Amino acid sequence: MELTPLFWLIALPLAATPLVYLGGHLARLVASGADRRGEYARIVALAVLLACWLPFALAAQALTRGETFTLAWGQLSLRLDGVGLLLAAVSLALGTLVVLYSGPYLTGERGQEKFYAMVVAMVGVMIGLGCATDLFNLWLWFEAMAVTSYLLVAFYREQAASLEAGVKYLVQSAVGSIFVLLGIGLVLANTGSVELQQVREAVVAGGALAPWTLAAGALFLIGFGVKVALVPLHTWLPDAHSQAPSGISAMLSGVVIEAGLVALLRALGPLVAVAGSAETWGILLAAFGAANMLIGNLMALRQKQVKRMLAYSSLVHMGYMLTGVAVALLAGEAAGAAGGLFHLLVHGLMKGLAFLAAGALLYVLHISLGDHHPLTIDDLAGAARRYPLPALALSIALLSLGGLPPLAGFMSKLQIFVAGIQAHNGWIAGLVIFAGLNSVLSLAYYAPVINAMYRQQPADIVAAGRPVPLAMNLSLAVLALPVVAIGFWPALTSWLTEPAGAALLAVFGG
Amino acid sequence: METWLIILPILLPWLGAVVVWALQERAPRLQHALAVAFALGGGAAAIALLPHAGDEALVRVPLGTVFGDFTLVPDGLGLFLTIIATVVGGLAVVFSGEYMRGEAQLARYYALVLFFIGAMAGLVLSGGFLMLFLFWEITAFCSYALISFYNDDPKAVSAGVKALIMTQFGGVGLMVLALVAYGYLGSYDINTFIAQAHTLPAGLLGAVAFASLAAAAAKSAQVPFQTWLPDAMEAPTPISALIHAATMVNAGVYLLARLYPAFAEVPGWTAAVVTVGLLSALLAAIMALVATDLKRVLAYSTVSQLGYMVYAVGVGGVFASQLHLLSHSVFKALLFLSAGAIIHAVGTRDMRQMGGLGRKMPIVRAVFVIGALALVGLPPANGFFSKELVLEEGLAHGPAWAYAGMLLGAGLTALYTIRMVAMVFHGESRVTKHVHDALPLMSAPLGLLALGTLTTWLLAGPFSGLLARTLPFHTLEETTTWHLVEEIFTAPATWLALLVIAVGLALWFLRARLDGLRQALQPLSGLAANSFGFEALNRQISHGVRGAAGALSRTQTGQLNWNVAAIVGALALVLAILVWRAG
Repeated sequence: MELTPLFWLIALPLAATPLVYLGGHLARLVASGADRRGEYARIVALAVLLACWLPFALAAQALTRGETFTLAWGQLSLRLDGVGLLLAAVSLALGTLVVLYSGPYLTGERGQEKFYAMVVAMVGVMIGLGCATDLFNLWLWFEAMAVTSYLLVAFYREQAASLEAGVKYLVQSAVGSIFVLLGIGLVLANTGSVELQQVREAVVAGGALAPWTLAAGALFLIGFGVKVALVPLHTWLPDAHSQAPSGISAMLSGVVIEAGLVALLRALGPLVAVAGSAETWGILLAAFGAANMLIGNLMALRQKQVKRMLAYSSLVHMGYMLTGVAVALLAGEAAGAAGGLFHLLVHGLMKGLAFLAAGALLYVLHISLGDHHPLTIDDLAGAARRYPLPALALSIALLSLGGLPPLAGFMSKLQIFVAGIQAHNGWIAGLVIFAGLNSVLSLAYYAPVINAMYRQQPADIVAAGRPVPLAMNLSLAVLALPVVAIGFWPALTSWLTEPAGAALLAVFGG
Repeated sequence: METWLIILPILLPWLGAVVVWALQERAPRLQHALAVAFALGGGAAAIALLPHAGDEALVRVPLGTVFGDFTLVPDGLGLFLTIIATVVGGLAVVFSGEYMRGEAQLARYYALVLFFIGAMAGLVLSGGFLMLFLFWEITAFCSYALISFYNDDPKAVSAGVKALIMTQFGGVGLMVLALVAYGYLGSYDINTFIAQAHTLPAGLLGAVAFASLAAAAAKSAQVPFQTWLPDAMEAPTPISALIHAATMVNAGVYLLARLYPAFAEVPGWTAAVVTVGLLSALLAAIMALVATDLKRVLAYSTVSQLGYMVYAVGVGGVFASQLHLLSHSVFKALLFLSAGAIIHAVGTRDMRQMGGLGRKMPIVRAVFVIGALALVGLPPANGFFSKELVLEEGLAHGPAWAYAGMLLGAGLTALYTIRMVAMVFHGESRVTKHVHDALPLMSAPLGLLALGTLTTWLLAGPFSGLLARTLPFHTLEETTTWHLVEEIFTAPATWLALLVIAVGLALWFLRARLDGLRQALQPLSGLAANSFGFEALNRQISHGVRGAAGALSRTQTGQLNWNVAAIVGALALVLAILVWRAG
């Protein structure tokens, strides 16, 4: 096994996970109090994640030169392609900022060292997931990601709502996981392999459409679909994403469900290789995309709790990504694949920003005062005067989610729409218009939040709130910057999204 | 040099927005001075660009992948609207110095106004659909944020959100147009589209033609999307003058005028444009007759006058529509700012609580009456010349029924305008407060706009030359102001229109003797007060969506067994679909 950047990119966070945890515990010897221990764990975690950016940069550079990294270990191999690199970028970016952000957020909580250890592990596992080349390892990484996230969702173990969310998430994911395993079993029984390339060859060699490919595909679609939060498999998401600590909400919405999407597409890829079946799967993905957009919007429309509203909005944005992918499948449009993945990246940034900003306000208005009430829209009345940066950051995030220019969300949605129209197909054009109208609908719940924040009369709770810690403001500023910059210069990240789009088409055998 | 000149009308206001925002609430006077400087700086750049009108794209920046080129093109149409946006914008900002004095959150106010001015300049200078759409959306955002500037007032918030959603809904039409241009012709460039539109499949061209009409109608508050504009009067009055009278609402007319050569041949398109303009002009005029809120009367009159411009495009009178746009921008900004001075002094928008203000506010009355002359369409105000030109085009090239309707609209305009002037300035005073006339920072812009109202028609000749020279796809003729004036005064249509206007004015003075007629029209006035059912339709749609959302929220049971059942059910459904499609 060569010690390539890919090796370090995956090994570094995984190897550091116990160190982060132990670092927190060993700190007991030199410092007392949960917060001091948490602080040690946080510093180790931050150092590790920052260090990961070096192999990332090297790998990205090599990939743009056209080199690919493969990490082989006996039968097992991991390969970094455009999709994997994109996933690595989003998870590293959010992971780093969330660790920076969460220091003050977790003040006074027990088990902070576990939190940081799990965040670091989750980042490493997601990078691994993006590089899996066989179904079994894909499933393994996927489950490992789920395990790290269960612990983080139920971090507030004394809160009933938090535990309930954790249990729902666990049970529904387990159901999905069983489906995936059944699917893998079907594939193995029929092709004798779980290696994706060999499965594809076997499927293509089989010629005609075999019933087992449909069954396995359906199992993958629904199994991974639970984690992707396809409607109607999404019912765990609003609880899990709103009950988790806000940094984790940002990661769950910004990259974990998207990692699920990558896993789904990788598993489905070989099965769509049979002539004519790409259309069927494209239609299914488009249908789920449309359902996600509409149902997510309607569910968010009447939410009074900010984080729950944001959680529903993740359903909507998964719908946009699915639309992009569906266009790629139906019409072979590279722009659709690139647009879907561009939206994955942008959604990670803007939804991460939204959750972190809402979390900062939740922290200063509720958590730092020792109460675990949810943050409601009414709580935000007049927040902008006292908390200008979090209010501005949340406004930028919401406007970007709503697709207003000159912000990133406008550009990534647009790329999906362009691809849709380029397909020169009436049905796809209809889907694009439907998606555009859904964007308009979403403004009906984003805009009032902004109006509330810029009121003059502060809510009582705002008047009594604490100041925002520097680490939080800093992470908000760092995350807001690209959301604005990409809006002005959409090609800023095309070095990531274009190869990712090409790699996704390759997954489909294009 | 020219490159900078064309960027500055966008860049300067945007830069100003950042600077003003950064000052937060520390220095309101400095903020005001800076805002004025940045807005007028943009205006100066736009005027300095005039000699370059008609040049090729001065700025061309490729944005990569599917985003095409960012181009700025200084043709006559774009340049003319840029000058209106920046100059009227500058005047509105000057006026704000007095009107908004002492208000909180001025940083947000000035930043948004400047952000708007820059975006409006960008909208009309953009050479490509994508950037046109982008700036279109930014102006919608600014409009929303400024309508609900007083966020503590729930009415202002709902009006802002309503305006945002309705204009964005129409905006989807513009997006489709941009996407079709790129997806089928390979470029977002507007002139390329106009040149090659006939190569598109006929059905597709028709679809985008009507989609553009929907976008224009939503932006320009035309039937059936007009309801957002009266509600938008919750905005501070300088905003109503700038965004909701002089600039943003013209964007729809601009779009139609620009794309007229591409869509004129689409079956039914010009008839639809004429119908939208006619309905808007007439229905809004009737609603203005029964409204009692001064700003709402002006808002309805804006819808109505925009209807004239839309109608003019529909009958092929692109120059007439743009000339009326110029007149209207100036005189309606004047009327709104005068209304602002009145509201500032009196403290209410309800005309029933005004009356007799003429003696106490002579300056305001003088300029308001000049604006009213233009609105009615009487010489020597600019509105006379442009409206007559619109009607003449209508008579010459449009259907007779539409012409008759627009003529009736002119009479109604006269009637509601004189009603408004009388209720505000004449009769018995119902004002209890001490009333002051316009303050210096207010009278300066009012005076300039009044002067403009009396004189901008003199620009008609050069303006026609500018458009004829720089718009390659429109068939426009260069003419002289003198020739136009001569034509207007010798046309029988002019005298017919003046007669109808006179009847409208006479109706007001004879109103006591026409009680029978008023009784007969009572049901109509009831309908008008209820906005002819359009408000009810809006409410029903909003109610329906919220109701659906409420019903749907019951599916989130919180019961794990139902959740798992949904997963298993979805698997069964997907399998069924797969089997069905395979079989």
